[in-house]
Amino acid sequence: MTRAILHVDMDAFYASVETLDDPGLAGKPVIVGGTTGRGVVAAANYEVRKFGVHSAMPMGEALRRCPQAICIRPRMSRYQELSRQVFEIFHEYTPVVEGLSLDEAFLDVTASLRLLGPAEGMALRIKRDIRRHTGLTASVGLSQNKLLAKIASDLNKPDGFCRIGADNLRAVIDPLPIQRLFGVGPKTLVRVQAAGIRSFGDLRQASDETVWRLFGKEGATMRARAAGIDDRPVIAERDEKSISAEETFAQDIRSQTQLLAHLTQLVDRTGARVRAAHLMAGVVTLKIRRSDFATFTRQQTIEPATHDTATILSVAKGLLQGWRAEYPDWSVRLLGVGVSHLNPATQGDLFAGETIKNARQDAAVDQIRQRFGAKVIVRGGLLPTPAADTKARRGRA
Amino acid sequence: MKLTVEREKLLAPLQAVIGVVERRQTMPILANVLLAVRDGRLLITATDLEVELVAATEVSVQQAGDITVPGRKLLDILRALPEKLAVALSAEGDKVVIKAGRSRFSLSTLPATDFPVIEDINAQQKVRVVRKELRRLLDKTHFSMAQQDVRYYLNGMLMEIDGKALRAVATDGHRLAICETELPAKAAASQQVIVPRKGVLELQRILEGEGEVELAIGTNHVRAQIGDIRFTSKLIDGRFPEYGRVIPPTPPHAVKADRDVLRQALQRTAILSNEKYRGIRITLRTNVMTVQAHNPEQEEAEEEIEVNYAGADLEVGFNVNYLLDALSAIDGAEVEVGLTDGNSSCLIRSPGSAAARYVVMPMRL
Repeated sequence: MTRAILHVDMDAFYASVETLDDPGLAGKPVIVGGTTGRGVVAAANYEVRKFGVHSAMPMGEALRRCPQAICIRPRMSRYQELSRQVFEIFHEYTPVVEGLSLDEAFLDVTASLRLLGPAEGMALRIKRDIRRHTGLTASVGLSQNKLLAKIASDLNKPDGFCRIGADNLRAVIDPLPIQRLFGVGPKTLVRVQAAGIRSFGDLRQASDETVWRLFGKEGATMRARAAGIDDRPVIAERDEKSISAEETFAQDIRSQTQLLAHLTQLVDRTGARVRAAHLMAGVVTLKIRRSDFATFTRQQTIEPATHDTATILSVAKGLLQGWRAEYPDWSVRLLGVGVSHLNPATQGDLFAGETIKNARQDAAVDQIRQRFGAKVIVRGGLLPTPAADTKARRGRA
Repeated sequence: MKLTVEREKLLAPLQAVIGVVERRQTMPILANVLLAVRDGRLLITATDLEVELVAATEVSVQQAGDITVPGRKLLDILRALPEKLAVALSAEGDKVVIKAGRSRFSLSTLPATDFPVIEDINAQQKVRVVRKELRRLLDKTHFSMAQQDVRYYLNGMLMEIDGKALRAVATDGHRLAICETELPAKAAASQQVIVPRKGVLELQRILEGEGEVELAIGTNHVRAQIGDIRFTSKLIDGRFPEYGRVIPPTPPHAVKADRDVLRQALQRTAILSNEKYRGIRITLRTNVMTVQAHNPEQEEAEEEIEVNYAGADLEVGFNVNYLLDALSAIDGAEVEVGLTDGNSSCLIRSPGSAAARYVVMPMRL
């Protein structure tokens, strides 16, 4: 069966995150990297790339090419935080997510096609969700395997989308320079080019003898790759040991009502992922970071394991209220919900009718969100009440 | 408070109520039993705030009074004394002294006024039911109650009064048991209450003998006097799911089998099922049922059973424990299993009888 594979690549990730956090950087050449003498460019935004600066370049050379570039030391924990948020979005579409780095992942959405519709639609919604949730842009490639999906994501950067299908396959990959083919390292490259092979098309049409001479027993595979064939499966990182979602608030929150509203949203997303992965959760963990950065976790076992949002929410609410009773006057800057002790859902539920009123609701909400976007449908508790509105307005005055 | 009594006459009522005293308490006084002495009688009360048991016994009263003492320690002392010994209890200062033969024990006490007693339950309805019948209802269903389920309303038994019928329903979300009996007289009002798990188990323990028992049902409690023991349980304040919706009315494919043959075959096959999930696969062809199990170690068991079946070929998976629980509770030599398809629940009962029915949801195998 033909697979649907996405390669999602965040655009100039570190540099984009820095610009997100400091909008004053927008439009200016930005380099993220070590600022000491032997520093290296970790990331370069599109403005500075015009000067020929790219990642892995020594900082000294980068600054020679663009003396007016703004250099910023990397903040890994911040990039990790945003990467987590982006990967959470991936997991709302499929559990088969193979992360290559903080800003790159393969997604196998073949199994999601029936429920979530055509892969192209999914790809565009993923881009949109990433932008809405994090403010960052990504480029997505869609094709039937990893090789082509990754080539595709590169063809239309930044904030792009590209599909390679049977109709445009040859036209797109034949002209590509042979060094883009993975499996061709620097030493092999020299020999390959010496043999007159400079592009994918050249390798695809090379003789058996040449291929054997250059690649040995890997030859057939390499030529197949040059033709766009790649059987490597997308490997989900690990059996999901836990699924979580967290949110750092733009402003510390003291109001219980508002905290509950954010909690509901986090549980919604977590529940959707548990169901998408056909799992049942046995433990709920709540993470709370106070305004003074003290971080607390509270856990509770759910017996029996569940994938029902309402059940997880009632447990999470209880944990939050318990914490609040201990620390009634503190503001919260981060809230996180996680579920663990995940097991495959094989045993049927009798009250999949009652809990199905919940599950059907959950499934309907899942479907509506996948088709029209996460923000289209919202649990009632999240809508601002008149009191909250007034407070907010007073705050601004 | 001062009394004398024969050891057995004190031991029996204490043993009847001690089950309610939890081994670990939230409040110290819950480890104690309340001794209320007056008018030639001793009332012993034990409680865990959810279920309360009061047992009465005749004693020689030298001085009336109320006091509480550690229940399990009192029980252990009485159990360890020789038979038929006369035992004297008296409150002395802040202790209760127990004298029997040449032994003397002094136990710490807590004031009787601190002991939480469930007084008036505001009974709105009183229903008389034959003891044997009530016992049967509980015996046939209690194993299906949930335990520590986050859906707290499932951690108990639904008792439904419906005209002249009394129904008990228990479910843990995966399987359901329902049993029904006829009341001697039509009840005044239809009502549904959920008796917590602990209450059901204690009631089962003390419900013996012949005759009838009167269940008094209040807004938050149910109470029953059974011989010398008064049982009171809080009711679970929650909404029990609509069980009627999940009982398949007429499953299209019905299998009839010898109950023991089926039960034993399932027991044998289950040995090689996954220890945690206990899944077995049932395949049906005309007059043959095959049960099959395998585990993560790649070990396998398979057995063919002769059955009475004339429906379509069918394959469905179940947690074998749920099936065995139901089969053990069914009376009679034959059992009827009603099936629909691999994704729907099955209905297990004694052929032709609607009294006790069992519904089990399948597993995806």
